[in-house]
Amino acid sequence: MKDHVNTVPEGDLPAGSLGRRAFLQGATAGLILPFAFGLTNRAAQAAAATPTMIGAYIRIAPDNTVTVVIGSTEMGQGIMTGLAQLVAEELQLNWAQVRGEHAPASALWPNPYGNPIFGAQLTGGSTSMMGWYMPMRTAGAIVRDTLLAAAATKYGGVWSLGQGGTVTDGAVSHRFAELLDVAATITPPSTATIGTTTRFIGKTMKRLDVPAKVNGSAVFGMDVKVPGMLFGAVVHCPTLGGTVRTMPAKPANATLVNLTNAVGVVAADTWTAMNVARSIQSRIVWNLPADTSSTDSAQLDALGQSLLTSTTATPFIGEQAGNPDPNSATTHIDATYSLPFLIHAAMEVMNCTASVTADACEIWAPTQGQQFVAPTVQALTGLTPDKVTVHTTFLGGGFGRKIETDYIGQAVLMSQAVGRPVKLIWSREQDFTRDMYRPKALIRVQAGANAEKAMTHLVYRNVSASINLQRGYTDSQNPEDTGALAGAIGMAYNIPNRRIEFLALAPCDVPLGYWRSVGESYNTFAVESAIDELALAAGLDPLAFRKTTMGGPNADPRAIGVMNAVQTLSGWGSALPAGRARGVAFLKGFGSYIAVVAEVSKSRAGEIQVNRFYAAIDCGTVVNPGQVTYQMQGGLLHGLSAAMWHQQTFVHGKAQVSNFNRYPIIRMGQVPDIQVKLVASTAAPGGVGETGVPCVAPAIANAWARLTGVRLRSLPFYPGRTMGDA
Amino acid sequence: MPRYTLNVNGQNYTINPSSGEMPLLWALRDLVGLTGTKYGCGIEVCGACTVLVNGQPEKSCNMSVSEAAGRKIMTVEGLAADPVGQKVQAAWIAHQVPQCGFCQSGMLMAATGAVKAGHHGAEIAHEIDNICVCGTYGRIKQACQGL
Ligand code: FES
Ligand code: FES
Repeated sequence: MKDHVNTVPEGDLPAGSLGRRAFLQGATAGLILPFAFGLTNRAAQAAAATPTMIGAYIRIAPDNTVTVVIGSTEMGQGIMTGLAQLVAEELQLNWAQVRGEHAPASALWPNPYGNPIFGAQLTGGSTSMMGWYMPMRTAGAIVRDTLLAAAATKYGGVWSLGQGGTVTDGAVSHRFAELLDVAATITPPSTATIGTTTRFIGKTMKRLDVPAKVNGSAVFGMDVKVPGMLFGAVVHCPTLGGTVRTMPAKPANATLVNLTNAVGVVAADTWTAMNVARSIQSRIVWNLPADTSSTDSAQLDALGQSLLTSTTATPFIGEQAGNPDPNSATTHIDATYSLPFLIHAAMEVMNCTASVTADACEIWAPTQGQQFVAPTVQALTGLTPDKVTVHTTFLGGGFGRKIETDYIGQAVLMSQAVGRPVKLIWSREQDFTRDMYRPKALIRVQAGANAEKAMTHLVYRNVSASINLQRGYTDSQNPEDTGALAGAIGMAYNIPNRRIEFLALAPCDVPLGYWRSVGESYNTFAVESAIDELALAAGLDPLAFRKTTMGGPNADPRAIGVMNAVQTLSGWGSALPAGRARGVAFLKGFGSYIAVVAEVSKSRAGEIQVNRFYAAIDCGTVVNPGQVTYQMQGGLLHGLSAAMWHQQTFVHGKAQVSNFNRYPIIRMGQVPDIQVKLVASTAAPGGVGETGVPCVAPAIANAWARLTGVRLRSLPFYPGRTMGDA
Repeated sequence: MPRYTLNVNGQNYTINPSSGEMPLLWALRDLVGLTGTKYGCGIEVCGACTVLVNGQPEKSCNMSVSEAAGRKIMTVEGLAADPVGQKVQAAWIAHQVPQCGFCQSGMLMAATGAVKAGHHGAEIAHEIDNICVCGTYGRIKQACQGL
C-alpha cells in the first residue's frame, strides 16, 4: 500500500548522484564542483550594459551590484546571506552592493548547483555551509582573478583588488562594471587561491532577505502570480492508502482533476477551490485498503513493543564492539523510550504553481529539492528536463517536508488538465493529514556502570518506521537504514562494549519523511535520557559522568569542549532557587557538537515549566554568528513545542490532528530565557539548521527527573493538548 | 457576482468575489493582489493573516469581505506609508527579526496595532499571540522594547 504517487524513485537520479538517502547519512561524493560547467561568462556577450555572469554563481550588473546565485534554498536559516558573505569576502565588496538569488534548477550533471557534499541540488542535512564554504569562496576568488586579468587586458599593467567592487593599480581604480565587456571574453581560471581577510566571515552581517520580509514584498511559494493563472486546492483520501474509485460530478464553479490518491480542484480563487474541496469530500467514492493495521498507531505500537523484546527477529547491527556483558556492571538500567509520528508543520503550507503546455513546463515552488522536480515532471508529462524551468521561491519554513515532490506533481497535473497555469495551495488540514511524518520510534536501552563509575556496556535496540524501507531504497552496504540509527552510532562516548541494533517497524504505511534532525531527533532522546538514568542510578553527577564517558585515549576534545562550555554557562552545580533543577543533554551530529542545559520548575498546575535553556555549540568556522545563534534559539523552541505537545496519531489510517489548534506552537509569553555560547573553533564549518533540536527533550526529561524523581520516557510529555490549554 | 469596494492602505479596490462570505484574507491575496498577508491555519489560531481594520488587529481569515467593506484596512504593504508602521518595520530590521519570514506580516501588524492602541515596550510583545514556528520571539521582544 504505497502512498507516494508522485515521489521520484531514487533510481531516477542521474548516475553518480547519492541522492536523498545518502545526504542524510553524511556521505561525501568527493565531486569536484565545476565552476562554470555549461554556464559561461559569455552568456551576456560583451555589452557592458548587460549584467554578466562570471561562472555559475556570480553576476555583476552595470550598476556594480553583485548577485550571488545560490544552489541552496533560503528557508529561514539565512543561507542566502551566509553564502553571499563568502563571495563578498573574496571580492572585498561593500555589503550594500551585495544581492542574493536562488539558482534555477539545473538539468546538468554534475549539477553546478548541487551541494558539493552529495551532488544533488537540494537543501537538507544541515549541509549548506559545510558543502559550499570552500566552493563559494573559491568561486569568489576565481571571479577576482578573472576581473584582474580583464583589467590587465583592458588597461595594461598590474591590477589588484580595491574595496567596494573595484580594481586598482595603485593610482587609478575602476569599478567591476567597467570590466564586464572584457571579462566576458576571458576564460576564468579553473581555480584560485582564497583570500585571508575577515571583513565578512565571522561577522553578523545583516540578512539580505530581511527588508523584503518586513514589507510584504518577499515572494513565498503561495505568493506567486502568473498571468492567466487559476487557483487550486486538493482533497486527499482521508484514509491513507485510499484511491479514487469514482469522481464526483463536476460543480459549476470548478474543474475536478483525478490525482489518484486525491482529487484536485481548480477554481477562480483559492477560497472557492478550498470550499469545493471540502464540499465534495463526502461525494468522492474511494477504494479503501482492506487492512489498515499498517496505518494504525495503536497497532503499530503493539508491533513495536513485540519487536523490542523479540529474540527471533534479526536486527541490523549498526555498530558493535567488545562484549556487552551485563555481568561486568554493578549498576544497571533497562529502559524503553517511545516517540510519536511528527508533522513538519512549517508556517507555509505545501503549495506550488505550475504552467504546463504541450512543449514546456514552468514551476514556481517553495522547494528544498530542486534536483527531483524535473524528473517528477517528466514522469507525469513526458517533458524532458531541458523543457522544465524551476523557480525557487522563499520558503515559509521547510524542515525537510519540501524536499518531496508530491505537491509539485499535483500542480503539474492540474495545470495540464485545465490548460492554464494553476497555483495549488493545500489547506492546513491537508498539510497536517498528508504530511510525510517523522517516523515513530520505540527504543530499548540496556546499559551499566561499574564500581569505578565507568560505563561498561550499552545494548541499544531502535525499532522505528523506516524511511528507506518504505521508499524501496536498497544499498548493499546498508540494507536497512543507518539513518534510523543516526545519533546512536559514531557517538562521542567511548563505550567499550556495545551493540547498536535497528529493527524496522514494518509493515508501516504511514508516509514517512525527513523531519528536522531526522534520526537524531529520536535517538538523542533515548541515548541522552539513558545515560542520565545510569548516572543517577550510580549516584553520579550526570554532566561529569558524560565527560568521563567521553574521556580516555579516544577523547574528542570538541565534545568535551562544549560540555565544559555549557557547564560554565549554566552555572552547573551551583545552587538554584528552591523548586528548580537542571538537566543536560549532548549531541555530536551534523558536523557539529552541542550541549544543552534545561532549567525547569513545576508550574502551579504541577506541570513542566522550562525556565531557561543554555546551549553551547561548536560548529567549526562560523560565518555569521548571529544566524548561528538564531538557529540555536529557533531549534530549541522547535524542540520544546515538539517535546511538550506534538504528535500525529492514526486510527485505521486516518490522521487525527489536522490543524494548529491541536498541535500547539509555543507562544510569546511561554518562551524561556535562552543563552547560546558559540565555542570558538577553526575546524571546517559544521551544520546548524538541525543541531539545536534533538537535545531539548532529553535535557527537559533529565531536569524533571532530578526535580521530581519522575522519569519521563514517552514523548510528547503532554499529548492531546490544544492551543488553548497548552 | 456581488461587488464590493475595499479600502486597503488608503486605496479603493473594487472586487467581484464569488460571495460576500469570502474571507478578507483570500480577497486580499487573490482578488486585490496583495499577497503580503499570509494564510497559516484558516481557523484564527496562528495570526499569520493579521491585518488592521480601523486600526485594530483582526484575523483576516475570519472576517468576510462584506464585513470588511467600508472599513479602513491596513496590510503589511501599507506599513511603510504609516508613521507607526515605519517605526515597527525599522525596529524589525534593526533587530533582524525574521527567519523564514512567513509569520512576520502578522507579527508586524499585531505589533503596529498594539502601538496604535497605546502600548509601549514589553506590553506590545505581551499583546502578540501569533505563532512563529521558526522561533523568532526573542528578537520580537527586543524589537518591541524600543517602541
Ligand atoms: S490564517 Fe488566520 S489566524 Fe491563521
Ligand atoms: S519567521 Fe518563520 S514562522 Fe516566524
